[in-house]
Amino acid sequence: MGGINRKGARRPTGYGPQDTRFDSYPPHDQWDSWTGLDAQAWPRRVEREYMIVPTVCFNCEAACGLTAYVDKETFEVHKLEGNPHHPGSRGRNCAKGPATINQIKDPERILHPLRRKGPRGGGGWERVSWDHVLDAFAEKLHDAFAADRPNDVMYFVGRPGEDGFADRFLETWNCDGHNSHTNVCSSGGRAGFGFWSGTDRPSPDYANTKFALLISSHLEAGHYFNPHAQRIMEGKHRGAKIAVMDPRLSNTASMADYWLPTWPGTEAAALLAIAKILLDEELYDKDFVRRWVNWRTYLQQADPAAELTFGNFILALRKEYEQYTPGFAEAETGIPAQTLVQVAHEIAEASPAFSSHIWRAAAAGNLHGWLATRAVMLLNVLTGSVGSPGGTSPNAWNKFIPAPWRKPAANTQWNERNWPREYPLAHNEMSILYPHLLHDGRFEQPVLLTRVLNPIWTYPDGYSWIRALRDERKVHLHGALTPTWSETAWWSDYVLPMGHGPERHDTHSYETYSGKWLGFRQPVQRVAMEKMGKHVEFTHEANPGEVWEEGEFWIELSWRADPDGSLGIRQYYESPYRPGEKIRLEEYYRWMFENTVPGLPEKAQAEGLTPLEYMRSYGAVEISRDDYAQHEEEVVAPEGAAVEGLEDTLTLPELDPTHLPLTGRGDRIATLVDGVLRRGFNTPSRKLELFQPDLAGWGWPEVATPTYARSHVHHSLISHERGEYALMPTYRLPTMIHSRSGNAKFLNELSHAHPLLMCPQDAERIGVEDGDLARVETEIGWFVIKAMVTEGIRPGVVAASHHMGRWRLQETEGMERWSSALVTMDEDDETVLFRQVHGVQPWQSEDPSSQRVWWNDAGVHQNITFPVHPDPISGMHCWHQKVRVTPARPDDRYADIFVDFGKARSVYRKWLDIARPASGDLRRPIWLFRPVKPVLDAYALPQDARTEEARARAQAGGLPDPRELHKIVDWSPDEVWGPVAPVAVAARGGRR
Amino acid sequence: MTRIGFVLDQRSCIGCHACTVACKQEHDVELGVFRTWVKYVETGTFPDVRRNFSVMRCNHCTDAPCVSICPTQALYKRADGVVDFDRDRCIGCKACMNACPYDALYIDPKTHTAAKCNFCAHRLDQGLKPSCEIVCPTQAITSGDLDDPDSEITRLVDTVPSKVRAPEQGTNPKVFYLGAHDAALDPLAIAEGREYISQIPESQKIKLQALDGTATVVSDIAHPAPWGWKVSSYFLSKGIAAGAMMLAVLLLVVGAGGSELADVVPGLLALAGIGVTGIFLVWDLKRPERFYLLFTKPHWTSWLAIGAQVINVAAIVAAVFTVAALFDIDGLRDALRWAMVPAGAALAGYTAFLFNQCEGRDLWQSPLLLGHTVLNALVAGAGALAIAALAIDSPANVETALGWSLTIAAASSGLIATFDAYGRHPTAQAERAAKNLRRDLYAAQFRAGVVLGALLPAAAGAAFLAGAPIGVLAAGGAIALVGLWLYEDAWIRAGQSVPLS
Repeated sequence: MGGINRKGARRPTGYGPQDTRFDSYPPHDQWDSWTGLDAQAWPRRVEREYMIVPTVCFNCEAACGLTAYVDKETFEVHKLEGNPHHPGSRGRNCAKGPATINQIKDPERILHPLRRKGPRGGGGWERVSWDHVLDAFAEKLHDAFAADRPNDVMYFVGRPGEDGFADRFLETWNCDGHNSHTNVCSSGGRAGFGFWSGTDRPSPDYANTKFALLISSHLEAGHYFNPHAQRIMEGKHRGAKIAVMDPRLSNTASMADYWLPTWPGTEAAALLAIAKILLDEELYDKDFVRRWVNWRTYLQQADPAAELTFGNFILALRKEYEQYTPGFAEAETGIPAQTLVQVAHEIAEASPAFSSHIWRAAAAGNLHGWLATRAVMLLNVLTGSVGSPGGTSPNAWNKFIPAPWRKPAANTQWNERNWPREYPLAHNEMSILYPHLLHDGRFEQPVLLTRVLNPIWTYPDGYSWIRALRDERKVHLHGALTPTWSETAWWSDYVLPMGHGPERHDTHSYETYSGKWLGFRQPVQRVAMEKMGKHVEFTHEANPGEVWEEGEFWIELSWRADPDGSLGIRQYYESPYRPGEKIRLEEYYRWMFENTVPGLPEKAQAEGLTPLEYMRSYGAVEISRDDYAQHEEEVVAPEGAAVEGLEDTLTLPELDPTHLPLTGRGDRIATLVDGVLRRGFNTPSRKLELFQPDLAGWGWPEVATPTYARSHVHHSLISHERGEYALMPTYRLPTMIHSRSGNAKFLNELSHAHPLLMCPQDAERIGVEDGDLARVETEIGWFVIKAMVTEGIRPGVVAASHHMGRWRLQETEGMERWSSALVTMDEDDETVLFRQVHGVQPWQSEDPSSQRVWWNDAGVHQNITFPVHPDPISGMHCWHQKVRVTPARPDDRYADIFVDFGKARSVYRKWLDIARPASGDLRRPIWLFRPVKPVLDAYALPQDARTEEARARAQAGGLPDPRELHKIVDWSPDEVWGPVAPVAVAARGGRR
Repeated sequence: MTRIGFVLDQRSCIGCHACTVACKQEHDVELGVFRTWVKYVETGTFPDVRRNFSVMRCNHCTDAPCVSICPTQALYKRADGVVDFDRDRCIGCKACMNACPYDALYIDPKTHTAAKCNFCAHRLDQGLKPSCEIVCPTQAITSGDLDDPDSEITRLVDTVPSKVRAPEQGTNPKVFYLGAHDAALDPLAIAEGREYISQIPESQKIKLQALDGTATVVSDIAHPAPWGWKVSSYFLSKGIAAGAMMLAVLLLVVGAGGSELADVVPGLLALAGIGVTGIFLVWDLKRPERFYLLFTKPHWTSWLAIGAQVINVAAIVAAVFTVAALFDIDGLRDALRWAMVPAGAALAGYTAFLFNQCEGRDLWQSPLLLGHTVLNALVAGAGALAIAALAIDSPANVETALGWSLTIAAASSGLIATFDAYGRHPTAQAERAAKNLRRDLYAAQFRAGVVLGALLPAAAGAAFLAGAPIGVLAAGGAIALVGLWLYEDAWIRAGQSVPLS
């Protein structure tokens, strides 16, 4: 790190140590042979020989570097530290990095492929060979592909943890079978950014910022927790101020200068009030807005009669935002008007080094949550803090995906299982609706391959998933690729153990600062063996048990699905170096590193290494840094291109229908700004789209400009007198990662309690004290949880962490026992009741720690009591719930869960009804981001009866104003569950 | 010189627990115990509320009480100032856990020996920083040489206001906190514990329950009391032995020649008491089979090591005295009766120095402690002899002497106990412990102990002196033994009932 030398000058603190007496890591040139002292034998000096192999963490999405200390005698992984050569994580990690060691050595992990014996979910399992597994699935794949039904196969992914590999194998299959977890996660965050710039994620330059506005908890979760937390705190030490918008006191809010505990779903009101202050007080960056915003387009629709001048545009916008006074925002959000004025002034002062970030949180919790994203990005746009040092850039500028060997053509299919017509603007697949579409009878699923996906637990409405997944007529064959047991794997046909972070290959790159890097995950035991001269054909030979890595699985599976190459698939799995022979996974990466990673061959050569050796040795490479202001890059107009439209967009005469870029249009390549052609952004206009024409064109003109619309948990819908509250069930803890960290004993030890946070006044109103049991009723069921009374939450809002509540149905199998409770599951035709037999308790295993488990709380599985709430535009599942909270009833027991399937189905239909289906020629706007984008032809909307009906409905008009939708989807606990009994008996003594 | 220390920058710490887990991995620390951990403390009321993250660990004190009290040199200070330990030398006496004012030590469930942060000494010696420091996402942990003017840690400590934990303990910690809220570092600033991300272990909940601060702990770990009923019982058995030895001279001097109650019985009581004491002491060791290290690797700054020798000497004196009494070697017996007094007094009183050496327990720092141990030994000895007097004929003046002894000792013991519990205490921790003793956690047991151990025996003694039969004195003696145990047990538990972290 730079900084000023202490000799002769005193520098500020917070830049990290600069003395060199002690190192953080062994020097890189000794990694192949490092002699470490044994900590357990200490103070006896017992030396151990290690090979230090870099890899990448696979707990959250940040992909931080790790280094594994592989014992040279036993090839056991001794420990995992950070990788100082990883540009994103810079040698540091969160708790989940070192906890990887627990996951590798978990005595509960699955070491061999298992096949179901008896009925699905019946709990009978038998060990089978991988050959059997591959043949069984390859046969089904072959049948589907040979019959030209590639969409019979679905790849449904939780955490991808890689860039590009899955896209490629799906394209080799010509299959539109990519389904992902995104709409339980970030569709709301993404959609708002996407509509602005065509790029769906922000890349805030925290280290250089002067004011950071965080909507979510980036010092403990967020996207890229550790890399971003490092830089947020670095910025803070350099004088930046931090504001955090969150109804709950997160650790992040604790560290912030401003904690803005807005009522959930009202964030956009506060943000637009700030925007109004910036406009009214002329604190915006006139030049930036004039040059980079599609203001002409805005003005033309806002005031068609007005002359297209920038002054008129500002007048029109100020008129539109007139309503968002600080007083209005205070009434909506609960944040004092004066505070908003102060924050607005701070933002203006900091600009253009003003950064912001919204991820999950408000965007994932609320109906119209994506509007909060639109509104926060508006602040960056108005202040010119886009692409500036200390501002926020589109993530594409700070992310690099290398092209693979023999990239297949785009697929020609459209899969309505993932992309139903009702949600033409959905930012990602409508994954939450999957079971409901099955229950509707819209389709069957011949082959389902889920990967680290646990929808029964993680998704809302898990009981609908259980009922779909266990029905062999709906899902014919289900293979669960997973490193560890999950509630979902329990209802699969095959459980296929896949490696943890240090047991597999992947590449990835994420926007963690104003530069680009590529990280390389590798199976460290295999790499150590190979470096020591052992031949390893497949990674599972080096991994524990028969744990495979997915890369090799997909190669083998694809090869076997097209053994003679007649389906045209096999060609993509032939070696670039040994024509006609099956590619080795190492060759896949070798080719990529040699051919499509800029600068890597040169860096490798400088050290006398091949590119692959370089990546094996360092685990990461930095591609570039200080990637600011890329929209300003000048463009030379190609032959035939013309500047067209209101926004002077440089447009090619034709669009290539066989290749649609992931985002943006291939035929719109630049915009003319003050007489110079510049690259701009990935929108159709190449400008930042304040007014987004496709939002208007596809049925939502009222929200085409950043605006505020009330959420389904708005305070006007909630009556505390009737026991109603807004439930925030989404917050994450720094020590946990969804349902993937239950197998880390050190993490479970630190976080296992699962309280319902409530403020003292609410506790009194509900009639519970700290530690008492409360019953929380949702629209489709209820759960019983312990209350925690805290000052750290907005009054009127209750919250419970997303992580806890794991369960299993059998004592010894089905879930690891570090985190799960044993439960019974009692069903009738429509309902289910889960009840704990016991919480976490000690057990005998090869790890003596399992007998020293000292906690018993396994938490409460709340998600299963939530109905699906698809946002009609972004497709995001709106996580927050209007609930009724009462003291537990006398028969209630801790962690009881009740769900009514019939109610779940009707809530699904209620929300489906507010969607506005595609009714034109296309299934969705072609420029919008879509994973594994098919060819243009696939976008054609079938002109069938459903389309006719949708068109008729759209043309008839009279659809409700989107700002009124919250009332349509509202529900009444009194009607659904009956009024609260006049004398509710509090279950005291609920303390455990 | 080199003085290695830590700076923990609370301005940067985000409470992520990376250090906790990295340390657990590096040292394979078992579940339930921690070398470094993060306590969450919430302060304030909505919306002016924050969660403070307190990183807790060994302070590598310049004047480390754990090193002084360790009887076998298992804990030691390295030349660079790091307080390190050798598990192979530890006998598991847990004295270090009571000496440490920071709750930094624990018993490793795997080796049954004491352990704590050792600054990753195995890494330091290879030129590497500790695991907790390198993992920290926000570089909130800085290690380095406090004596090196060029080091980052020196620069931080010199230019940023810092605090240490419990400076009043005089240990001169080498762990400095920057930007810490008082409630983050003061274990007594807490009003209660609530369960936010983890359950608070029962033993810790009890400790938190008694506090009357204003902040709320929402994540904390267990620090169960190191010493329990075996130590309380050792107090009593040793008291009987020491009291009997001291009283033997009294009985001999008042002219009890010829009565076994004046020589053989006290001698046998002393031997039996010492024997049982030894059993309790060794039984309480987590590694009892290593008790011999007390004699082969003694650390002479430790009152536990010195105490072992005191017990040895007392045992020899008592044994020879008893043999002389049994075989009527009067000359030897009479000569030794004068040695019995200092040997008995030392046997009783060394414990005061041992408990005084427990720097972590302020209740035990009382100036009355020496009087407390000696007087209670006299009560125990007199009580035991009074019971023996029922069975053994003895001259009236011997019984009268016993009566006076029990009465005076019990009355004085009661006074000291009262002063101890109700008097002024120099530190907040001692005051909290005294309240736990007299009013909160252990009040019932304490009061029963004082009534049974002091008031009733004194009354019984007085009644006997006023003419009641010997049975009353014996009953007073028996009650005294029960009461003393109750009292000592309450006092030992109360001393350990205040959280130090």
